[in-house]
Amino acid sequence: MDRRDFLRTCGAIFAGGVVLAAGGMLTTKTKGEEGDVFWQIDPFACTQCGRCETDCVLPVSAVKCFHANKVCGYCDLCGGYYRPSVKDLNTAAENQMCPTGAIQRKFVEEPYFEYTIDESLCNGCGKCVKGCTSFGNGSLFLQVLQDLCQQCNECQIARVCPSNAIQRVSYKDAYKLKDHA
Amino acid sequence: MRKRILFSIAGMMSTLLAMAEARFPKPDFTSGYEYPDITHGVPMEQFWNILDIVLLVAMMSVVVWAAYKKRSRAVIFSTSILSVGYFGFFRSGCVCSVGSLQNVTLAMTDPDYHLPWYVLLIFLLPIVFALLFGRVFCSGVCPLGALQELINVRNFRLSRAVSSALSMIPWIYLAFTILYAATRSQFLVCRLDPFIGIFRLGGDWGMIIFGVILLIMSVFIGRPFCQYLCPYGALLSVFSSLSWKKLEITQKSCINCALCDKSCPVDAIHQPQSSKTKESRSAGVRRIVLMSALLPLFTAACGILLHQHSDTLSRAHKDVYLYELVMAQQNDPDMEECIEVETFNAMGGNIDELKAKADKVKDDYAFYATLAGCLIGFVIGFKLLKWSLKRSRKTYEIDSARCTMCGKCFNYCPQNLTKK
Ligand code: SF4
Ligand code: SF4
Ligand code: SF4
Ligand code: SF4
Ligand code: SF4
Repeated sequence: MDRRDFLRTCGAIFAGGVVLAAGGMLTTKTKGEEGDVFWQIDPFACTQCGRCETDCVLPVSAVKCFHANKVCGYCDLCGGYYRPSVKDLNTAAENQMCPTGAIQRKFVEEPYFEYTIDESLCNGCGKCVKGCTSFGNGSLFLQVLQDLCQQCNECQIARVCPSNAIQRVSYKDAYKLKDHA
Repeated sequence: MRKRILFSIAGMMSTLLAMAEARFPKPDFTSGYEYPDITHGVPMEQFWNILDIVLLVAMMSVVVWAAYKKRSRAVIFSTSILSVGYFGFFRSGCVCSVGSLQNVTLAMTDPDYHLPWYVLLIFLLPIVFALLFGRVFCSGVCPLGALQELINVRNFRLSRAVSSALSMIPWIYLAFTILYAATRSQFLVCRLDPFIGIFRLGGDWGMIIFGVILLIMSVFIGRPFCQYLCPYGALLSVFSSLSWKKLEITQKSCINCALCDKSCPVDAIHQPQSSKTKESRSAGVRRIVLMSALLPLFTAACGILLHQHSDTLSRAHKDVYLYELVMAQQNDPDMEECIEVETFNAMGGNIDELKAKADKVKDDYAFYATLAGCLIGFVIGFKLLKWSLKRSRKTYEIDSARCTMCGKCFNYCPQNLTKK
């Protein structure tokens, strides 16, 4: 065996050792509970900055508005549905907070109205959430819709979220809903 | 610590929320209204993860067989198509091996981070294969490489000097990737991935344009991303150069026709060379000793260089960045408040706490930036040392560090065309 081959064999044995050692060490890191692979917004931490709409890698953000009906007051004058300065409580587009008309309002009984989010229209801008959190019960909140989310290795919104509201969560915590709180 | 802070914020917010929730009472419906039942799906990741790993191993095994036994480019080409289709477009190229580098780094430095088992495998398996057979993964399994491979028609060569200089970029990229992942600043590879936007058919426009430019380049230059950018490829090249089995252009004897050299898209074939200028042994030894002495020098110099700039670099971390914004705002109250500072103030942020966090991050940076600098310096020194070792060769040989096992040279070698 010439000198070059000898050096190479030594190198290969060393590299093999490194791989084994690193593999062994890292395996201990994978033990335990299932990994936190989903990204989710903590609705109690989110400040509705608007970046969820703009910073997701998808053309239309994977973040959608969710509605916790059990928390909702079913108000006629909904802080999430109407703009603050609204004059007539009708469904005209210029009265609505939502820029995409994703919130549907349905009369239930005097004086209650049910609000439902059409997720296919929502772009996650959080305007309604802000309205509802400041003037209503805070029943509207933002969540990453897991069937749309690409499970990026690093969520591009989490990187810029000013309130650090987006974290890795495990399968069983894939949604952080407000109803169960 | 960090957890506790988040906790207290969450606690604070929920008390706020409890107050907010009292604004309007729960309605008592008299019409028998029932709350709608809205459910949201969670994809079955586990199934896909298992399939990913199975396919990863299967495809790498097929490539090994195709390259070593069958010696067929056609098979490798088909796995490339499968890889682009499945790992690329279907699984949208995430998590890929290149990116898993960061998860692994994070797992080593952050005790709270839980490394998913399949991410570990996605990271390790290509390395194990590289140590055994060379860069099998790059050949027809990595969706990023395969995408460039599939559209490559010509290979214009950059001059050796330019190419050598550019081949430092992956190492610098690797060093910064590790730095940013270890300090929990950001996943650089994910952010700068030029092809993910193409696989997802959407995303950051800057990166998509970059990706398209790279793809146009890869029509004329073999795998520009792999050759001059990929940090994982740099890592694989080390293991590949030490690999147990090595690929040969032909199993017969080389007739020095130089056809294979022209065919290789990544310039991975060494030409035969004899040392023309006879150099005395002592001069050679002196040169090698000099280069070996330069190696630690470069390592230290680059380490010190990055150490000195660690504070500047640490701005890539959210906490440091926020701290600087808050300070700038305090020094100049007329400045328009940006969203970060606004949120910080609205949440009743404590500047001392933030400063403590930022200082902690800066300390981390001081350490890891030095490490990253040493890595860069070491590689520069090592490359110089390697170039200074002139080795004479009689035939054309594959440089296993660079070879991405595309199999093109097999078809060009006239010795392979004649029957055995
Ligand atoms: S980026 Fe953060 S704070 Fe802004 S809307 Fe999204 S979760 Fe809320
Ligand atoms: S206002 Fe914004 S977040 Fe709310 S439903 Fe409309 S698009 Fe979605
Ligand atoms: S993980 Fe990716 S796809 Fe999902 S919300 Fe974040 S940026 Fe959007
Ligand atoms: S060099 Fe990097 S991008 Fe290219 S094939 Fe290898 S791992 Fe993939
Ligand atoms: S198999 Fe390797 S050496 Fe041969 S052409 Fe492909 S990359 Fe070049």
